[in-house]
Amino acid sequence: MPDKTDFYDRLNIGTGASEEAIKKAYRLAVRKTHPDVNRNEGATQLFLDIQEAYKILSDPNRKGAYDDGRGSHETPPAVHTAIEFSQDTLIRLDEPQIVYSMIDIVSTLAEKDTTDLPLNISFVLDNSTSMNGARMDILKSATKEIIQELNEDDIISVISFNDRAEVLLSSQSHPPIAHVESSINSLFAEGGTEIFQGLEAAFEEIRKNSPFDYVNHIILITDGHTYGDEENCITLARSAAKLDIGISGLGIGIEWNDEFIDKLCALTGGQCMFIQELNQVKDFLKHSITSLKEAYSRHVSLEIIPAPGVNLLSAFRILPEALPLPHQEEFSLGILKKDKPHRILFEFLVNPVPEEIDQAIIASGEFILKRKPRDYTIPFTLNRPIVAELEEPQPPPEEIFRAISHLTFYRLQEKAQKDIASGNPGTAFQRLINLSSHLMAKGEESLAKIAMHEADYIKSHNNFSPTGKKQLKYGTIRLMLPDKT
Amino acid sequence: MITCKVCNNQEFHGVFFCGECGSQLVLTDDKNVDTFIYPSQVRGLELDISNTIPKKLLENKTFILYCLDQEEMINIPDQVEFTIGRFVDGQVITPDVDLNLYEAFDKGVSRLHATIRINPEKNKIHVIDLGSANGSSVNGYEIPANSEVPLDHGDVLTLGKFRMKVILPKELK
Repeated sequence: MPDKTDFYDRLNIGTGASEEAIKKAYRLAVRKTHPDVNRNEGATQLFLDIQEAYKILSDPNRKGAYDDGRGSHETPPAVHTAIEFSQDTLIRLDEPQIVYSMIDIVSTLAEKDTTDLPLNISFVLDNSTSMNGARMDILKSATKEIIQELNEDDIISVISFNDRAEVLLSSQSHPPIAHVESSINSLFAEGGTEIFQGLEAAFEEIRKNSPFDYVNHIILITDGHTYGDEENCITLARSAAKLDIGISGLGIGIEWNDEFIDKLCALTGGQCMFIQELNQVKDFLKHSITSLKEAYSRHVSLEIIPAPGVNLLSAFRILPEALPLPHQEEFSLGILKKDKPHRILFEFLVNPVPEEIDQAIIASGEFILKRKPRDYTIPFTLNRPIVAELEEPQPPPEEIFRAISHLTFYRLQEKAQKDIASGNPGTAFQRLINLSSHLMAKGEESLAKIAMHEADYIKSHNNFSPTGKKQLKYGTIRLMLPDKT
Repeated sequence: MITCKVCNNQEFHGVFFCGECGSQLVLTDDKNVDTFIYPSQVRGLELDISNTIPKKLLENKTFILYCLDQEEMINIPDQVEFTIGRFVDGQVITPDVDLNLYEAFDKGVSRLHATIRINPEKNKIHVIDLGSANGSSVNGYEIPANSEVPLDHGDVLTLGKFRMKVILPKELK
């Protein structure tokens, strides 16, 4: 018997049923399922479920609340959303004010529930000249190893790219080991780095199978800077996001363009990682595959529309992997994992609200959850009561305060980078000194030392050190994860 | 708009941290704060400061740190938040208050030992130990690192072995 979570389904009626019809349906259902009459296994639970449903649906108030929460006329997916604001109540001001909102979506299913969704993965490997030597060897062995760990129904393809792309392993499930070995072993380093070539080939391989049946993901590993084809890559990432294809990137060393790869990942709901030690390649691949395996939904996206008079200033993904999101109103968040939330922090600028209105509408939005057999929409509204004065000052809620505090660190290093770009190393120096002392005060000693070291470096070189710049950026991003320890 | 008291940058209402220098702009009721109650009987050292601190100075200051061993007032900047430690040559981050003048090295004060945060509106003062090597204590009770601990008139704040008395001039008769 299918699990009936929806109260209307339990009583076998439509959502438009009248009070009378609900009563009738209830009596009928009770007659069928009463433990005195029905001695089948599970009947008691069924009877209790019907009682629960009727208790709510027969009470107009509770029915109303239930209908609101239910949102649509479909069985709700096993998903919860939660919203938190930087202030419970806004104060009426004659000037604009900032409101932060943190939105969570989490699948309530435990990891062991529901079966795993099969993956459709494409590995895109940089084989430009700079990869020669240890990098190439490690990349080959890590890729071969990770392919062995995939399941039989997962689909795999492997692409290599330098100035052009080559399909080493065309899209297939369960490829013979010998075939995997020989195609990956044939890889050798030569030529330049044109990421678009690689991404496009991977995109085509993934699209050979219906994206609706799989968790679709492109994993890009590179050590270089792509030139001239960034725009094409971004366009491709946008198309990928529309087809529920995520892109994750791993940057090796210091040459690669972190801003660019971050953007590809942010557009598609993937993750971006920076490694200095080669032995971390395998960890990254393992981590990526493991987390894709935990998918409850192959894709979740979030659309947000600020109310009139409200501007969306920024969006930051905090969970499952911290990443600044591009400035837009629709966000592709990648897979939704079982039992692990997505958390997005929004920063809104709210303009003064007319006197007669005591509720500030900030934005409305919806999550779009893609699951087989169909998609679900979970709408939400962001609004806050607005008062002339507060009786007592409200301390900011802890979680959101913590997130914003760490976001401030990220922003400080970002601003220091801008200072350098606009020729103000002195300002950048001071900013990093401030950042370092704030980090120290938070007990983030190693990152504080990196910031201090960079400040020192800027003093003598008028620029960041290539390693320190990335360390500081990904270090401050990593702080956002609540369970970073 | 609100003005950052450290760098004078203007931010919109509702912002928690200054975007320019990263200083905190709002009050947080740190949960830890209320759990640290230091018995008043150990607040000791009744002390006559009338000879060492000019009356005029007392009237102008909201907060004074008094070095107990050297018997003199410590120069503190007119800021709502400042760090205390020891200046060391070649060090990039320097503390706002340098205790070298008071033989701090011998007393085990770290380079960046603690932060003092003053909240003039609520009339509250907190100390935060910045994970110093030798720790800090208030009235003889060791305080945890990286947490705000309130300071009151008459408290003895010890950084390493360096002892200071907290004086709030308006509490003096």
